[in-house]
Amino acid sequence: MNKKAYPTRFAGGALLLFGIFVLLPSVLGLGLAFTDWNAYSNDINWVGLDNFATVLDPNGDYVSAIQHTILFTIATTILKTGIALGLAILLTDGVKRLAYLFRALIYLPAVLPILVVGIVFKSILDPQSGLLNSTLQLIGLGGLAQQWLTDVGLTFWTVVGVDTWRGVGYIMVILIAGLLAIPREYYEAASIDGAGRLQTFRYITVPLLMPVLAVTTVLNVLYGLRVFDMVFVLTNGQYGTSTVYTMVFDSFTRGLYGVATALSTLFFGVMVLLGFVVIRVMQRGEGN
Amino acid sequence: MKRVLTLLAVLAFAGCSNSAATGTPTAAPASAGANSTPAAVTPAPTTAKEKVTIEVMASQDWIKSSEQVLAGRFEEQTGIHIDFQIIPSGQYFDVLKTKLNSGQGIDLFLGQAGKSDMKLQYDAANNAVDLSKESWVSRIDPVVADQSTLDGKLYGAEVWDVVAANYWVMTYNKDIFTKYNLSVPKTFDEFEKVCETLKTNGVTPVYEPISDGWHQVLWFPSVGAQIEALEPGVTAKLNANTATFAGDATMEKALTQLNDLYKKGYFGKNALSDKEADTSKAMSTGTYAMTLSELSRGSQIAAAYPNLKATSFGYFPIPLLDNQLQPTHPAGPSWMISSKSSHIAEAKKWLDFMMQPENLQWLIDNTPDFQTLPFTGVTAKWDASQADFFKTYTQAKTLVLQDGVAYVNPQWMDMGKWMVNMFTGQKTAADMLKSIDAGRTTLAKAAKDAAWSK
Repeated sequence: MNKKAYPTRFAGGALLLFGIFVLLPSVLGLGLAFTDWNAYSNDINWVGLDNFATVLDPNGDYVSAIQHTILFTIATTILKTGIALGLAILLTDGVKRLAYLFRALIYLPAVLPILVVGIVFKSILDPQSGLLNSTLQLIGLGGLAQQWLTDVGLTFWTVVGVDTWRGVGYIMVILIAGLLAIPREYYEAASIDGAGRLQTFRYITVPLLMPVLAVTTVLNVLYGLRVFDMVFVLTNGQYGTSTVYTMVFDSFTRGLYGVATALSTLFFGVMVLLGFVVIRVMQRGEGN
Repeated sequence: MKRVLTLLAVLAFAGCSNSAATGTPTAAPASAGANSTPAAVTPAPTTAKEKVTIEVMASQDWIKSSEQVLAGRFEEQTGIHIDFQIIPSGQYFDVLKTKLNSGQGIDLFLGQAGKSDMKLQYDAANNAVDLSKESWVSRIDPVVADQSTLDGKLYGAEVWDVVAANYWVMTYNKDIFTKYNLSVPKTFDEFEKVCETLKTNGVTPVYEPISDGWHQVLWFPSVGAQIEALEPGVTAKLNANTATFAGDATMEKALTQLNDLYKKGYFGKNALSDKEADTSKAMSTGTYAMTLSELSRGSQIAAAYPNLKATSFGYFPIPLLDNQLQPTHPAGPSWMISSKSSHIAEAKKWLDFMMQPENLQWLIDNTPDFQTLPFTGVTAKWDASQADFFKTYTQAKTLVLQDGVAYVNPQWMDMGKWMVNMFTGQKTAADMLKSIDAGRTTLAKAAKDAAWSK
């Protein structure tokens, strides 16, 4: 057998399946974004950029969904990275006893299905019968009880909070692996040179952790941009929490397939571009 | 060779199994029965009972427990099992459309009647079986039958009380009204005064469950006859595309009044997370004085809480725009047989069984939400509060908006979201009316409606 053809033949089957079930629908989807494909008619007509104009109409609902998505991505990325980094340092350097137990407990939410987390939190945050408001009332802090999932000014941040709670353990585990990979000699040398904890963190931990932070940031950004299930379960995209993919779902359910495909295509492009930019920026940071 | 033989054996076995599962129907319906039990279907004496399961798909609350009992009786008599797939209302149309488009196995499905829904939501001409020649058709109220008819063909059967279960009106607790010396309001201003008095006395005026996404919508289209009374001809103009929702001062006023009720806190603090399924419970506690509900809410509360009487609750029309008319709303959930079903004969047999006059009467007598059904040969069971409602208020000559104006009902869940956006300050009443117009245009163009192609 020709040795050069050997890997190609092995990969051929998988590539064929990938082509039929992933690549082809994606390319077809791209084309359908330029049509008026909908649930109410069998005709599909070319409409040029009309669907993209609908999606980017500043007075439409889609633009606010895009804004929410970007804000959600920034907020969850910062919160998850910050909290996870703090916990990772604490559990590798500070807490010695039961550190593994704490790691496992903090990681636990990450293995729960998002749907389950959403349903549980929906119950906890119910304004009348939920655990949170009931507890607040029980300890005399009833004034802090809120409409966590229906107050327009608050709901977005509730969703961010729940998503951060779920995702922080996963990021923490990756960062712990990164921290443990930093040679201890650097810290010893810094200690001998009289560096304080803050200086050690600033000049040793952060630069050497940068490749790992690049990975977690890309993961967080890509997750944030395509967030759907958590928002869908908690609020169904209402009360100021609509995101790009809740709007894609909404448009599909309203039978506006062309518009939904346009929004999806647009954001796929944005994600590819952003992912690329984030990696480049992080690589530059590593170089410095 | 061995493999070929094995394959043939497997195929032969599968073929035998299949033929056993889809035997020819044998049992015939009969008219026997009494009010205490569903009418029997006389089994054929010589053949074995069929072993067929027919799949029924319906939205939450559309199938009554009495219908399931009736289905059990039908199975006893015919061997045809009816499997009810009940889908949460918010997801129903998505799931149903997916099933219909993919031809997945459903035999019967329920859909909200109304011409634009029958055409756009269900594509009844392609997805449903023509039932025009069935024996029970002549007994349906023609106004109701018309809602399930397209191009002269009847595609659905509404076994639904289009009065008690379709008249969405204000239900009020008579004891609370008496306690605070309140009279039934005749205008919107009077209604707001009643609400304010109740709120001041620590009673939440209205239980309005918004979390389901559909209930809050009822306030607006249900006063369609009053809109028509204030602006004669508007319904016809909307259908002819010579008028729009946007810019209509009367409609904007109705929505603004509704928004006002929400903003003043008359729906309570938790309206956005309240659920429709809890309505009877909420009304039974005395913490809420009113709710927008079916004309049968009193019976439903009495059925769930036997210490309460149905007549402890009274009814009056939705007070937006000073409305004093009984709504006319003949479109309700309609049974349709999927044209792709492999059990069309069995499904027809079930419909035939259900629509025997004795069985319809049994449904009326055993369903708290139903006081009558739109068929001849049945006796209604109105209570004193309902009779009082019929006596006090005039029947509207115009249909509610969702039945009378094309392309409104298919937007129901969207309207629910826009209304929430209005309540929470993200949209105005005018924005919502514009959105309805935009949706109507999309739907009308897709349906190639001549009025929109001019």
